[in-house]
Amino acid sequence: MKRFFAIIESPATRTFLLGLVVLSFQTTLFNTLRPLGVVLQVMLLFSCASGVAAGSEAGAVTGFIFGLMYDMVLTAPMGLSAVVFGFAGYMAGGVNAFVHEARWWVKIIAVALSTSTAVLLYPAASLVVGVDGLLGSRIVTVALTCAAFNALLAVPAARIAKWALVKPVRQAIWAE
Amino acid sequence: MIVVLLLTSILLVTLDLRDSGFVAGVRDTFGTIFRPVERLTNVVTKPVSNAWRGVLDYGELRKENLALKDLLVKQEGTAIAAAASVREAQELLALNGLPTLAGIDSVTAQIVGQSPSNFSQTFELNRGKSSGIRVGMTVTNGAGLVGKITDATLERSVVMLATDPEYAIAVKVGNCTTPATTAPTTTVPEATTTVAETTTSAAAVPPTGIDGGTTTTLPGETTTTTSTVPPTTTTTTSTTTSTTTTTSTTTTTLPKPTTTTIKGFTPFSTTLPPRPGGVGSQITIPDTGGLVPRETGALEGRGIGRTPIIRFVQASERLGALCEGVPVVTAGGSQSLAPPDLVVGTVARVVNRKGTAGPLLEVDLAANLESLNFVRVLLYQPATEIPR
Repeated sequence: MKRFFAIIESPATRTFLLGLVVLSFQTTLFNTLRPLGVVLQVMLLFSCASGVAAGSEAGAVTGFIFGLMYDMVLTAPMGLSAVVFGFAGYMAGGVNAFVHEARWWVKIIAVALSTSTAVLLYPAASLVVGVDGLLGSRIVTVALTCAAFNALLAVPAARIAKWALVKPVRQAIWAE
Repeated sequence: MIVVLLLTSILLVTLDLRDSGFVAGVRDTFGTIFRPVERLTNVVTKPVSNAWRGVLDYGELRKENLALKDLLVKQEGTAIAAAASVREAQELLALNGLPTLAGIDSVTAQIVGQSPSNFSQTFELNRGKSSGIRVGMTVTNGAGLVGKITDATLERSVVMLATDPEYAIAVKVGNCTTPATTAPTTTVPEATTTVAETTTSAAAVPPTGIDGGTTTTLPGETTTTTSTVPPTTTTTTSTTTSTTTTTSTTTTTLPKPTTTTIKGFTPFSTTLPPRPGGVGSQITIPDTGGLVPRETGALEGRGIGRTPIIRFVQASERLGALCEGVPVVTAGGSQSLAPPDLVVGTVARVVNRKGTAGPLLEVDLAANLESLNFVRVLLYQPATEIPR
């Protein structure tokens, strides 16, 4: 029983479960709410928030896992979102390298910047693997809208990500 | 760690692009785990989604509803005529031993989900392999081509829309034999029906059309009633007191000549022999000698908000001019994704390019991909999509 609880409380399990719940919100609620016709990217939000909450490396791994889960429900090549979200998590985690205790507005800026970068990076990565036609003027609207939304929810998302990654076990597997 | 993640991504992308069974298996397994969670979340978040739609889309939906009602009335007549034409076309194709859509079974499915991505254009259907759906099958709706099946599990399948950048299909484009400005017309002559009812004397009243109206002269009367009727249905009743004769004349005048422009063939007019007691009627027959071979090309999607285009079309005098408004249908063939003569849409714009590149044609799809609900999956798996 003790072992069972240890598994449940481990950051890996928590991250997976969090990803599952966030993905279900992504494919249901946030698939319906489309301001300016843009699908808001909550999976990307939590990838960036993980970086902000637990550092670059934890952000990269969490982003990779979340991206991989996202790829499972998309028809895009598997691994594409994983690499982009992983990069976004790593980039957002970079904020911890510059400041010791990031203020709330620094977190917001970090999440917004990484989100917009990831959104712009995705069509470029698609182009590399042969998926053409995603780069267009609309990408700017998508990047700005997603960045604005993710900035809005950056602080609560960072708290949830921190709970999943570092709170229960001090020696969180990726945070060290 | 970062390098490991990067290499893993590259490996996964490579495996997926090479249609690895491992990746498909992982996707299926994850789908099985994820589906119940998604269903539960959908139930929980439904009120929020509905509230959002109610607040933002109510006015638009109301307007759209009115417009659709109007459109429906107009379309009903057209649909009946079109159904008759399709029937005739199928009979002709059958007579000539050519393949038709009539022999292909289909499954009706409802759209239950949309891609959560800003880039891919896919929908999820509530039918899958258990209904006979396989990867590569063509998806249509009442209007025309919608897309193709890209993934199928036991009870679900995914449709890639024809506007997706990864979608491509061979199509046929009708050509114009004459420039669009002098497009041939089919003229239905004005029809006039006159019914005369007389209480004391009945007489055949020969109709004479004057400026879209009708002059009616009743014999044996002291008073002549002349009425010019606009192109609507009117009833004229005249009472003559001097001869104590009451005459009721109903004059029905059909609307002005209907002109239908059908691009792609040159019709000519012929006059049929006069019918007993009536005048000869003029009908229009397509000139088969004027029919030009249809040009083939490749229709490619260009992403959200952009019309698909047709490439590899040759502009030559022999094949006739390419013009806007001509119909686009699937080309068919052993290597094609869809059976032949499936309606795709019409040419919206012709973009002429210099050199040997040939023109680009922008296509308005007949199916409205923004408001899909039920679709039809043709149980026709192209040869290229059958797994080896």
